[in-house]
Amino acid sequence: MPALQFEILATCHTTKARVSRMTLPHGVTALPAFMPVATQAAIKGLTPQQVESLGITLILNNTYHLNLRPGTKVLQEAGGAHKFQGWRHNLLTDSGGFQLVSLSKFTKITEEGALFSSPFTGEPTMLTPEESISIQHAIGADIMMQLDDVVSSLTTGPRVAEAMARSVRWLDRCIEYHEKSGRTDVQNLFAIVQGGLDPELRNQCLDEMIQRKDRVAGYAIGGLSGGEAKDTFWRIVKQCADKLPADKPRYCMGVGFAEDLLVCAALGVDMADCVFPTRTARFGVALTFKGPMNLKLGKHATEFVPIDENCPCPTCKGGTTRAMLHHIVTLETVAAHAVTMHNLTFQAQVMGGARDAILQGTFPDYLHKFFDNYFGDAGYPEWCVNALRSVGVDLLAGKEGAKIVQGDGARWEYSTTKRK
Amino acid sequence: MYSTIAFTLESGKQHGYRRGILQLKRPDGTVLEVKTPGFVTATSRGVVSHLTQRLCEQTEAVRWIHATFESLYVATRPFPASWRSYSQACDPDIVFALTDTPFTPPPFSQKRSVKSVERSLAWLSDLLRSDTSEYTHPTNVFVQMAGGVEHDARAAFADGLTSRLYDKEADMVRPLQTLDEGVAGYSFDLAPLRATLSGDRLTGRLYDKIPAHLVPEVLHPWDLTQYTGDLADLVRTSLSALPEQKPRLVNSCTGPHEILQLIQSAGVDLFDAAWAQRAADIGIALDFQFPVPQQYRDHVAASGDDDAAGENDGARQAGIPIGYNLYNFQYAHDFRPLTDHPFPSAARSPVAPSTVILHSSIDSGEVGESPSPFSRAYIHHLLHTHEMSAHALLLTHNLSVLDAFFNGVRELLGSPGVCDQVIGDEIAIFSRVYDASSSLFNVSAKCWAEVELARGKGRLAREKAKELLS
Repeated sequence: MPALQFEILATCHTTKARVSRMTLPHGVTALPAFMPVATQAAIKGLTPQQVESLGITLILNNTYHLNLRPGTKVLQEAGGAHKFQGWRHNLLTDSGGFQLVSLSKFTKITEEGALFSSPFTGEPTMLTPEESISIQHAIGADIMMQLDDVVSSLTTGPRVAEAMARSVRWLDRCIEYHEKSGRTDVQNLFAIVQGGLDPELRNQCLDEMIQRKDRVAGYAIGGLSGGEAKDTFWRIVKQCADKLPADKPRYCMGVGFAEDLLVCAALGVDMADCVFPTRTARFGVALTFKGPMNLKLGKHATEFVPIDENCPCPTCKGGTTRAMLHHIVTLETVAAHAVTMHNLTFQAQVMGGARDAILQGTFPDYLHKFFDNYFGDAGYPEWCVNALRSVGVDLLAGKEGAKIVQGDGARWEYSTTKRK
Repeated sequence: MYSTIAFTLESGKQHGYRRGILQLKRPDGTVLEVKTPGFVTATSRGVVSHLTQRLCEQTEAVRWIHATFESLYVATRPFPASWRSYSQACDPDIVFALTDTPFTPPPFSQKRSVKSVERSLAWLSDLLRSDTSEYTHPTNVFVQMAGGVEHDARAAFADGLTSRLYDKEADMVRPLQTLDEGVAGYSFDLAPLRATLSGDRLTGRLYDKIPAHLVPEVLHPWDLTQYTGDLADLVRTSLSALPEQKPRLVNSCTGPHEILQLIQSAGVDLFDAAWAQRAADIGIALDFQFPVPQQYRDHVAASGDDDAAGENDGARQAGIPIGYNLYNFQYAHDFRPLTDHPFPSAARSPVAPSTVILHSSIDSGEVGESPSPFSRAYIHHLLHTHEMSAHALLLTHNLSVLDAFFNGVRELLGSPGVCDQVIGDEIAIFSRVYDASSSLFNVSAKCWAEVELARGKGRLAREKAKELLS
């Protein structure tokens, strides 16, 4: 029995979106879904039971961080990261490659692996593809990611091609190591498509990786969400999603804004992760279907209503008011916990709504409704309009004179943070 | 309309241990009870730190909370003339009368002492006034017992409460004949008293939320019960002429040793839990029981207990610590739960959610059954990685330990045929077996500060400053 079963339940008649059921060793996750990030084996501030109660069935741990603390020995003694953190549902780990580049100034990539100085001892340490998988084996994630050669999405020149080609070679080493481990029935390996913002390189990478289709459980689209133009971002996602095999899950790495999630889903992406909803919660921003709400703003001091009266999260359902949150936000950890629960529920609602809409054949309407609510007043991001037009949905249809925002078009309520 | 308070003493006396039930009836008919001796959970800005609403509800140990007005009203310092209207706006179940506590460093002049007592009485009568049409006097007032560390001043304040009022003063609070008639309970804040007694305003500061960079390099262990005897005397002086049928609340106590002494020798009914909550902030899992369990009863002081070896910071260990410091690396591989006792805390006995939010028609809503307790190794990991969940888990645990402790106290006080001798002996055994020094808190505070400075807020700025220096 393979460790991943992927069953497509419905596809959108217009866009490339699909609804599926992904069965992993720790249960079923309905896709498309957003995966919250528990970098250090905890969704910041929440217990696993609280996360579970939000209807979340798949979270992320970071291999780089867990390897530093608590380390593989503790994880093995605990019986894996699930048991260590008390999480009974599905778990995905990244390979640690991204953190090596983003967190360590002195990482040097060689063909053998990534050479970096240990943050504890300063000693040179090598993370090879084999070592990455071995750590992920100790963690016991339901889905492991290959070690890839990560370059910033803004990098240009021969380094991008080199990184792409090396990621393919490293994939082979990850596959070899994983297959020999005897853990293929309990853990899955995903490949990561690289190639920067160059469609030709992406194409080569896709060709190579699709050849290994029978030896990987799914595919990630990597090397994006690093500050590239959104109009480039969606084109690369579309290129990858179009070419990747339909019968494997597709995971777009580092995506977490609601509009990005829905565009990706429409392009045929099944999974996405980002620290955004949890991080922004700690800064006092609650996500709503009317756009992000900055609870630090003075105007919320006298609003005795929940963040969103229709929201099923414990914060809103429990009657915690915006005024109360305004009073404690960024000052009390409880506020971070309360807004984190709300934001994770919001993400899950956005994706759950998409699943139902795709099942019912109303996904284009769902997109219209979402974007009207979210951006109707502030203006539609042009890149979203372009991206959705590419899959047959015209957000502006019938809306003469609708406002369009050029560029990356995120809309934030950050204007002033002065308290009353 | 105000809540009314009824206190029933089941057993006990003026200056010794008492057992009772404090009942509060709200105008809407809700009845809340707390059994005494018992505790009140502290809050910050109106929330129990680290506990979300749901987690707070699930923590049985949290029954009554103390919300400080200043933390709700952020604009300016509250001023006495408006206290009545402020307290009405907050509509608490119990309100404290303002007290004039000197905040300049001790010692205080005779004049200041007299002023403090007079002013505190005046502020109390202002809170109790009923001489305008819109006021009826509140029935839910606790008074902070003034007088500082001067026995005469404390007696004078108590006398002021019970003295018959005349003329204008009587008109103000009619139909009350004395201020004490309008008082539902007495409260004592030990912090300013301890500061005056020790001549050091920082004594006991480990229990405050001091920023990590202010935790001193060197912390000398001090005896947490050093001033308890004197404090009990002061409490007794205040209470000696007052009716025994009113509840007594003590704030800013240092731990179980002091609590037991104040129960035994001053008849205190309610205590704050700030010290136990602070323990959760700095990585301490409390671990003590009353009466002392069999296996520890023969513990002889200064035996060099193995578990405690790493905790005592060079000081001679005077007994078993009342908890353990989970920052200690000895817990990295310790997969035991925080305690063997199945406390109803989110750390020891996590409960699977009764409902799960379904986001689409194909969501299964599956929950795992009977989740396992969180291990010491996991909480150790969360502490060192600066994850907030550590403190939520530790807090539910610590409050549960404290709840069980008070249960033990009440059970002993209520057991049939129990006599002074038995209770005294049990308290003596507790004091002998468990360490009453601040060592555990000192060591943990340092570990906490180290991680906080390395990984907490402002980390990048501190790293930059360091880089510039080197």
